[in-house]
This record gives sequence, structure tokens and C-alpha cells, in this order.
Amino acid sequence: MKTITLTLKKFSSIALEFEELIPDTVYNWSKEDFENYQVPIGNTRFPLTNYFDIEVEGDAEGPEDVKMILDGDMSRVKYIGYRMTAGEIIVNGDADLQAGAEMIGGSLKINGNAESYVGREMRGGSIEVMGNVREYCGTSYIGEWRGMSGGVIKVHGNAGKQLADCMSGGEIYIGGSCDILAGIHMTKGYIEIGGDVTRWPGGQMKNGTIVIKGKLSSLLEGFENEGIFVDPDIEGKQLTGKYIKYKGDIGVNGKGSLWLNAEKNRNLL
Amino acid sequence: MEYILKNGIVYDPTHNVTGDRKDVMIKDGKIVDNVSSDAKVLDVTDKLVMAAGVDVHAHIAGPKLCVGRLYRPEDSRAGVVPKTDITRAETGFSIPSCSATGYRYSRMGYGTVTEAAVPPLEAKHTHEEIMAIPNIDVSPLALFGNNWFVLQFVKKNDLEGLAAFVSAWLKLSKCYGMKVVNPCGSEAWGWGMNVHGIDDPAPHWDVTGGEVVRALTQVNEMLGLPHSMHVHPNDLGHPGNYPTTIGTLDAVKDVKKNPNVIRDQTIHCTHLQFHCYGGTSWRDAKSGAAPVADYINKNKHVTCDVGQVTFDETTTMTADAPMEYDLYKLSGLKWANKDIELETASGLIPIIYSPKAPVNALQWAIGLELFLLINDPWQVVLTTDSPNAGPFIRYPRIMSWLMSSDRRTEMLENEVHKWATKRTDLASLDRVYDWSDIATVTRSAPAKILGLEQRGHLGVGANADVAVYDIEPENFDATKASNASVIEDVMGRAAYTIKDGEIVVKDGKIVKVVPSRHMWTNVTGFEEQEKKVLEDIMPMFNRYYTVKFENYKVFDHYIDPAIEFKIDAGK
Repeated sequence: MKTITLTLKKFSSIALEFEELIPDTVYNWSKEDFENYQVPIGNTRFPLTNYFDIEVEGDAEGPEDVKMILDGDMSRVKYIGYRMTAGEIIVNGDADLQAGAEMIGGSLKINGNAESYVGREMRGGSIEVMGNVREYCGTSYIGEWRGMSGGVIKVHGNAGKQLADCMSGGEIYIGGSCDILAGIHMTKGYIEIGGDVTRWPGGQMKNGTIVIKGKLSSLLEGFENEGIFVDPDIEGKQLTGKYIKYKGDIGVNGKGSLWLNAEKNRNLL
Repeated sequence: MEYILKNGIVYDPTHNVTGDRKDVMIKDGKIVDNVSSDAKVLDVTDKLVMAAGVDVHAHIAGPKLCVGRLYRPEDSRAGVVPKTDITRAETGFSIPSCSATGYRYSRMGYGTVTEAAVPPLEAKHTHEEIMAIPNIDVSPLALFGNNWFVLQFVKKNDLEGLAAFVSAWLKLSKCYGMKVVNPCGSEAWGWGMNVHGIDDPAPHWDVTGGEVVRALTQVNEMLGLPHSMHVHPNDLGHPGNYPTTIGTLDAVKDVKKNPNVIRDQTIHCTHLQFHCYGGTSWRDAKSGAAPVADYINKNKHVTCDVGQVTFDETTTMTADAPMEYDLYKLSGLKWANKDIELETASGLIPIIYSPKAPVNALQWAIGLELFLLINDPWQVVLTTDSPNAGPFIRYPRIMSWLMSSDRRTEMLENEVHKWATKRTDLASLDRVYDWSDIATVTRSAPAKILGLEQRGHLGVGANADVAVYDIEPENFDATKASNASVIEDVMGRAAYTIKDGEIVVKDGKIVKVVPSRHMWTNVTGFEEQEKKVLEDIMPMFNRYYTVKFENYKVFDHYIDPAIEFKIDAGK
């Protein structure tokens, strides 16, 4: 097991990009390798040591043996865990854009808030965010119609707009509330939102499942009521309580299912 | 600057040079037969030497590309290459950035590319993009097949007026030649309709596609434009469309070729693969390549380019807007649609050609059938209708398929859907292209078809556009299936690309960036008629266009540097 600890000593207002600092590339790096490394910032690179104290302990045979700990405010560090396939990254602080984007395996834990594009086009592995995430968590790249296809994203706080746009697989759990258009264009996969949702979940969804345990302010017209179910079993996940089931979005001949907590959404009964 | 390319193995089909060991001499941007002792010697011993490539049909500049880039940011990230001291950063795969377009053609050893569809209203934008594309000269073709004025002239059967209109409009749009796309069909699209076959009139016009193609071909020969009529026939991509294709070609069979042009054809049918389908629906679709190839073998007034499917995720973009709508209904992917006022329409949609998809496998096989069934390589040109059937960077891969029937068999047996075997004759065709055939279909034939006297060959007086590839044709068995990847690699990164006597690529890397020139045709001898035609059409122009005529024209500063082809139509 190799533990790599990067402790922030100087905050850069221009974002650092960490796409090269993933277990897959650094598992055989020594402390000197880190000290010689130049990190991309804007259109140039600077020594990593300008910004971080670096500690490396132990050895690793491969990326799966690596645990990277990023201590401090990483709210201007982008692409943490980008395309990682194995190993573990823990961020003790906030994370900037694209955390866990295109992730293939391993785990990423953020003990703080994360900016937009967490887990964009994720294919596998797991991401856990203890705070909030902003827009486009678990979505596709801009313009791309094939989004997150696997893996699990767990957010304990709230999520922003367009959660899981074009999702085609995997699972997303949001503990708090969620802004507009969760699960828009989704074709497969599972989204569970613990809190309230503002508007329009599942717009143009073709298939897949969205569960909302809180109150939904505005449902799209393209969803047909299919009745009320008590303690439903949805894709092997046992929910408790009464749920209203909708099918949609019929505007695109969709067969997705949207489950709303009946108690919290009595206006729709 | 003088150069001498020493000891190369030269293929120059125009002059019947087939793999001779020869020196190629260059002086002041031209091929010469003698250089001074100061000439710089480039040792290309045993390497393959050809004229630089000429592309007869691609979509590389203009509003369609711009919409594509805006609409497909996910494509832009596919081909990212950082900037160097010489080149700008590159982006994009099927719709590369302007500079990437120039670099990539240049790296393949190409020197001239035809932008195949320019609506005159958008010609300014097209020329702006050409200004941003380096290292290749561009010959833009203006769209005429659904233009209201053209339809009016054809309806009145006023060929003289139509000729004056075309002559004026080539000057206004600074284009090289004429292109027709789904004649009358794109006009019908304004009403949410399409036309089917060459005898189906556009709504409210009572003019058919067949009449438009015939009239414009007659005008093309009357004016003596360097390139012939360049036609994308009706019914593109529809099963059972091959009779329409043959009908279109046959409609101009008796049109007499202008004696002053160097080309042999009076009609060039583009991306023929999309127009050679048999059957009645996608359920029973099959190849219609054989009858079309047979027609072309018997008729010298026709040339074609193939539009070979390359099994990529690419972007389709065409003025055949109703066809794009059909494609949208099939795939459901994001679709863009544009109306170009009095001139045409256009559409754009991503497409994924998969070897495992029956229809795509069929399209792939039909393209190769055309290459192999058309006997005379001077009548068939290698294109992918870039980016519609695949991006142009795949040309080397197509060469590898043409040069090895073993490779084709390997693909038919293991990689592509069985429709390619069952519904076409590809499996039974064992013809292979040699280097001379490759040089013909990528350089000599397209240059001749375009009427470019000084390109596509290495004769004295030709432009010094030369490509050298790092392969020894005498010691290389191109027919071996396992060598296909070598061909693709080597033909994709030229050892040298020389453009007008300057080395722009060395060892597959851009070493110099030169501005591309805008090629356009200036017809003289019709000034009086042009004046009258402009007066006649001006009320309609002012009524329906959203731009003023004063702002419609492409001004000279849009086409710097330019190559003007002066044509004396009175001659």
C-alpha cells in the first residue's frame, strides 16, 4: 500500500489541473518524482511543490495499491481523479470542476463540496461527496448524447441543475434536494433523490428510473400516472412508504419510470 | 528555390509513368526538366513519388462546417493536438478546425481540395474559412440546383439567360464551378416535401430535377467552365434509387462537350455510393452498383467519385435537407436544419457507421464495388464525401482496401455484417489497385475531372505540388492483408509534401504553413447579357432576399490570395 499525501500550502486562484495525478500514473512515483513534476495551470505549468507539501509512504505494485490524500482547500483544483481506473483518492476539502470525470474504476471521496461536472461520463468506480455538488453531476460532455454509463455517485448534500443528463447506466444517490431537469435525456440507470426537487425531472427520458423521496414542485406534462404502490421494490431496491408511479416522457415515446413519495406530493394524488 | 527529388519511384499516370526511377525537378514553384547546380537535392531513393493529391469533393469550409462545430462540441475534443512553433492547435475528428483541415490534408500529401457545396448567399463565410485553412488550394463549387432564378430560367427554357446568370453568380460568389444537390428536392423541402426521381416537379414550380440538371449541364458546356456539371442526384440514400442515378446521367448524354476544356466528361456524379441502392426498402435493400458501373463503363461522358463509407462516427452535412430529415427519423440523433433563402436548404446530423450494422456494411461494400466494377480508373475518384461517409483522414485506409483483396476478404469474413457478402458482389471481386491506379484515383483523374491542367501530374510546367511517401513500392507487397495497416500509416504521413515548390511537410510533420488560394472562374464574353439578367431579376432579389444586393457579393479581399481562371465564353 502506498499513501501519497498532498497538503496545500499555497492557494492558486487560477485552477490547477490534476488529470495527470491519478493512481494510474503515480503509483510508482517517488517523492522526488512528485517534486520534479510540473502541474498544468492555465496555459502553462509550475512545480507542484510551489503549492503542495508532499509525503509519500510505502510502495505500490499498481494503481489499486494507491491511496492519495489531498488535504486543504481544493476548490481551485480541477480534474481530480480524471479517468482513474483503480485506487483511492480522498479530498479533505472542496473540489473544483470535473472531479471524477470519465472515471473508470476505484474510488473518490470528497469531504466537502464539489463544483460542476462531478462524475461526467463516468463508466465505473464510486464517487462520494459529503457536501453539495453543483450543475451537471453525472452528465455527458457538452453536446454528447452518451452520458454516465456505470459506477455509483453518492452525494450527501444537494445537487444542482441537470443531474445525470443523458445517463445510460449506473446509480446516483442524492441525499439533499435537487434543482431542475434531473435525469433529462436518460436512457437507463437509477437516480434516487432524498430531498425536494424543483422542476421537470426526467425531461425527454427514454428509460431508466428516478425516485424522489421529497416534494416535487412541478412535474412535466409528458408523464402518465400509473397508480400508487406501497413499499415498492424498484430494481432490487426496497423503498418504504407509498409512491406514485409515472411513466414517461411520452413526448419522446419514453418508457422511463418516475416514482414520487405520495405523502410529500399529496397535491398529485 | 530549386529542388531536385533524386531517385524516387515515380507514378504519374497522366504521362504514363508507372514506377520509373526518375528525378523530379522543381524551380520557382513549377516542375521543370532542368535545374541549376544550386538546386537542393532531396534524396528520395526508392521512395514513392507522386503529384500531390487532389480531392474532387469534400466539405471543408462554410456555414455547414461552422454549424457542425457549434453543434458537435463532442467531436471537437476527439482530435485535439497541441500547438507547435509552426502550427496552431488542432481540434476535431469529423469536423476539424480550419487549420487542422489544412494540416491534415497536407500531411496526407494533398495539395488541392474542392469545397463541394457553397450557397452563394453564404459564399463570404466560405471564403473566410478558406482564408483560415492553410496549405491547400481550394476550388469552391456554388449551388445552383434549387435556386429560384435558375428554376425560373429553366421553366422559361431560357438557356441564354441561365448562362448569363451562372456567369454572373460565379463572379459574385467567387466560385470555381457549378454544383447541383437534389435538384428541386431541397426547394420542395421548403414545403416539408421532397421530390422522388428526376421527373417529379418541385411544388409550385412545375420544373423537374431532370430538367434542371440538363439545362445547367448545357449552360456549363456553353460557357466552357473548366469543371463539368457536378451533381448529387435525387433520392440520395433511398433503397431502389439507382434508376434515378442512371436517369440523371442519361439525361445529359447528348449534351455536347465544349471543345476548349481538358476534361472528358460532361457530368460528374458525386458520392455515387449513396446513389446505387437496389431493392424497395431497407428490408430488402441490395447493391445497385453493377448496373450503374455498367452504365459508366459504356458512357465516357460520366465520371464519379465514390463517397466510401469508412466505419466511423462522423457528421453528415448536405444541402439535401429532406434526406437529413429522413436520417433523423431513422437515428433520432440531434439534427440541425437550415434554410438558405432563395437558394437551397441544408441539414446536419451525426451518424455512426458500424461494421456490424447491416445497412452500413452494405454501403461500405457498394462503395468498394464501384471502385472495382468501374473499369477505367480515370472515371472514378477516391472520396468519402468528407465528412459524410467518413472523414478525409481515412483516404489511406481506403487505399489499403483497394490494394488488397485479401484484406477485403478478411473484413468480409470477420469484421463486417453478412449483408456485405449476401447483398453485394464484393466477395467475388478480386481486382486490386496498383500504385498507378491509386495515383490515378487520388490525383490525376480528379485534376483532369476538375479541369486543372497544372495539377495532378508531374509534367514540365505543372505546379510543383509533389508528395513523397516513405514506402518502397518495388519491395512492398501491397496485396498482403497484413500490409494494409502499413499502407494506411505511410500514406497518412507523407515523407515530403511540396506545395508550389515549398516543402510544407517533412516526415509527416508540418514544417511550413502557406496560405491557401481561392480558385474561381471568371467568365468573359457575357457582360451584356449579365447586365440584362441582373436588371431582370433584381425586383425578385430585392423582394425576397434578406440581404441587399450590394452586400451579397464576395469582395476581393475575401479571396486573397486567389487563382483566377479566365474563360472566354465567346470563343
